[in-house]
Amino acid sequence: MFRETAITGFIATIVVILLHFAVSKPKFDNVFGKDRGLRLLDPLRFLVFLMTLIFVEQKWNFAGALRKLILLVALFCLIVLAVTGFVPSVIYDEAIGSWWLFIHAIMAGIFAVCMAALAVLWADRNRFDKNYLPWLNTILRRQPKSTVTPERYELEIKICFWGIFVLMVPVILSAIVSMFKIFGTHGQEVLLQIHRYCTFFLTILAIIYLYFAALNEMEKTAGRS
Amino acid sequence: MALNNGLKINAILLAVVLAMANVAGAVEPPLLGDVPDGSRATPLHLIPMLAEPLPGKEPDQIYPKNDPALPFSTKATCGACHSYDIVTTGWHFNAVDSNVPAGRIGQPWIFADPLTATVIPLSYRDWPGTFRPQQIGLTPMGFLGHFGRQMPGGGIGEMLDKTDNPDEVLRVGITGQLEIDCLACHNTSPGQNMGSAAGYAIQVIKGNYRWAATASSEIAYVSGTTKNLPESYDFREPFVSSDSKAKPPIVEYDKSAFGHNDWVQFDISVHMLKQRCYFCHSNVDIHDGRTEKWSADEDIHLYAGLTCVDCHRNGFKHNITRGYPGESKDSNNVLAAHSSCEGCHLNNKDSNTPAAGRFAAPVPAHPGIPPIHFEKLSCTACHSGPWPKAELVRTKTAQAHALGIAGASKETDVLPHLVYPVFAKAQDGKIAPHKLFWPAYWATMDGNNITPLNIDAVKAAAGKVITKAAYSKTGDWPNLKEEDIANVLSAMASDVEAGAKPVYIAAGKLYSLDEAGKLISVEDKIAAPYMWPIAHDVRPAAQSLGVRSCGDCHSTNSPFFFGLVPVDSPLKQVTAAGVEMVKFQDLPRFYTKAFAWSFIFRPWLKVITLACCAVIAGVLLLYALKALYFVAKIFVGRES
Repeated sequence: MFRETAITGFIATIVVILLHFAVSKPKFDNVFGKDRGLRLLDPLRFLVFLMTLIFVEQKWNFAGALRKLILLVALFCLIVLAVTGFVPSVIYDEAIGSWWLFIHAIMAGIFAVCMAALAVLWADRNRFDKNYLPWLNTILRRQPKSTVTPERYELEIKICFWGIFVLMVPVILSAIVSMFKIFGTHGQEVLLQIHRYCTFFLTILAIIYLYFAALNEMEKTAGRS
Repeated sequence: MALNNGLKINAILLAVVLAMANVAGAVEPPLLGDVPDGSRATPLHLIPMLAEPLPGKEPDQIYPKNDPALPFSTKATCGACHSYDIVTTGWHFNAVDSNVPAGRIGQPWIFADPLTATVIPLSYRDWPGTFRPQQIGLTPMGFLGHFGRQMPGGGIGEMLDKTDNPDEVLRVGITGQLEIDCLACHNTSPGQNMGSAAGYAIQVIKGNYRWAATASSEIAYVSGTTKNLPESYDFREPFVSSDSKAKPPIVEYDKSAFGHNDWVQFDISVHMLKQRCYFCHSNVDIHDGRTEKWSADEDIHLYAGLTCVDCHRNGFKHNITRGYPGESKDSNNVLAAHSSCEGCHLNNKDSNTPAAGRFAAPVPAHPGIPPIHFEKLSCTACHSGPWPKAELVRTKTAQAHALGIAGASKETDVLPHLVYPVFAKAQDGKIAPHKLFWPAYWATMDGNNITPLNIDAVKAAAGKVITKAAYSKTGDWPNLKEEDIANVLSAMASDVEAGAKPVYIAAGKLYSLDEAGKLISVEDKIAAPYMWPIAHDVRPAAQSLGVRSCGDCHSTNSPFFFGLVPVDSPLKQVTAAGVEMVKFQDLPRFYTKAFAWSFIFRPWLKVITLACCAVIAGVLLLYALKALYFVAKIFVGRES
């Protein structure tokens, strides 16, 4: 069941992202230049652009650089965890074991530390703003004082951010609690399913988060140019 | 014309139907005791004892006044009410039937001969790693001579005349066949005599096959032997001979056992006592040289009030369940699918009704055990056999060491050397505890084919080299050197067929002579140890592996993975230190070690990740409260 759900979910996510990408029409000209040849290579250029986002900007202070580094480590851990977690269960249709499990367990600890740090360091930056939903302000007859225009995908990014952290709690607990002599076989199986599905949704949210973050960064880059 | 054809077809069909009806009619109707009426009471067996009949005649009843007193025949006596031929299809008797699936690999008959440095697994079943007894020259009678002591009769015991040896065919007239001894299992009398000086086993060893069942009963005493009897001997007639060595078997019945009509009451039950099973299925572990049974506990199920046959069940076909997972593929016993550990302790996921808890079996919770363990391990891995320690336990079994029989060696070093628990991958792919020994035998090698040599030929060749000085009084291996092996192989060289060469297999290696006549050895799969999974004795749940912590198995020095299996052979000088169990589990050693090592940090992982979880949950709670505060302010109109 999980295998089918995961395969369907991942494919659906990629399809939705591609559709959104096609519909939203990112401003490639502003980022990559109008006079570029071989526009067919734009998706490849987009991926290269994504790679550039992993670099720490020179203007950032130590705290900013630390935040970024933690994010990158967390991202790396997430990729490794996703590969070691989903490849055995989704591709090979078998329980995670052997080196997969070994690496998964090691990276899980690092990932948890990074995510805890990110929660502390980035939570405030990801507070929802009153201006995101103008229609709601209209209904409530409120006049927000702030006049700052939110970035284009800011709301989506913040929803993903909080979604990821909400899912982090059951992801960690389902893994760690199973190591204590609390739950029997049925409970262990339930915990495993909770862990699987929560990590699945967490991974989906992380993909969407990264996609919108990249789009946002493109918008900003385009705006600067 | 078409009508004519139709008539022909109808006529053929009618003939077929009539023929089938005729065949159906030929099937013997069930006897009185073949089909139970359903009463749970034990039927009284007050019956006439019947002797082995003359060919084509009805069996005669045995009276106390008979001279000579005849041994009773179980085939005639029990077979009067129970179809004997159906019973012979049961698991304990059908090893020689090649149509019967061999099932899970089991304990073989181990031919151990210190005089030729031979320990070889034999079986009539197709268990990988075993050889047929005839491959080493054991005729049915020869096989019974070694192992019939702990066989319940039937099977090969009733095929003694199926041999190329004309002397043995003639001798069957004297010894009789070894019929199934129904009493060996079903007699609940404390007088059942299996192993004492005049009991069943000794009668079989003496070749008194016809008398074995009688001797086992509490109502008779048998003395004498068929060994030196002439071909003219007739067990029905008084024996007169001038040969002082010829002392035929004599039956002395307890006259008081004969009651009304000279019938005899046997205490027969289908609820067999564990002592009956123990005669052939006992184990004794050798701890510090001690072999006393008072120092070891029995299987936990026995203390719970069960008997062996509560789990190992059969109907009249006697196709007893062995109790391993997946047995239903091999057995037509309807209970085979429910007679494993899971059958009583767990609910069958495919069943519509709850099945767990039979015999008041506790349903295990297995708290803290990740389900992956149940995919990788058998139940017995954690629950059966002795608790794994750095050193394996040397053990003796009834079948391998003739336990319970008068005169059996009580030495702890007597061959074969069995050790356990060896945690190895079983046929079903799960890791299970096994008993193990290292085969050692002489064979011919033709290409990649290994054929064990006839044991008589081996004795002839080895006898010239392995002198009495090398023998051990305890029945242990003879003290051999590599030169001895080379000399025996040289002596055998002329006896093997052209293109083949003699080899010796021991300690996981294959020894042979090179062209220069020098002894060479190579590790070879054919020399691998013989292992069979064990199920008993089951320990209490409080003594199961993992009950203390994961470290019971997942530690860098855990016997479960890294216990050394000693390599056993007569070649003391080349005996290796041992083989780590991971090798038998098909697991990469480095990974297993690394994984075990990671458990040192497992408590840290728990603490750190739980702390991280608490931080994340705290942040979520903090901002959720802030959001709530904000929403509340809006609704009360105090938004600033």
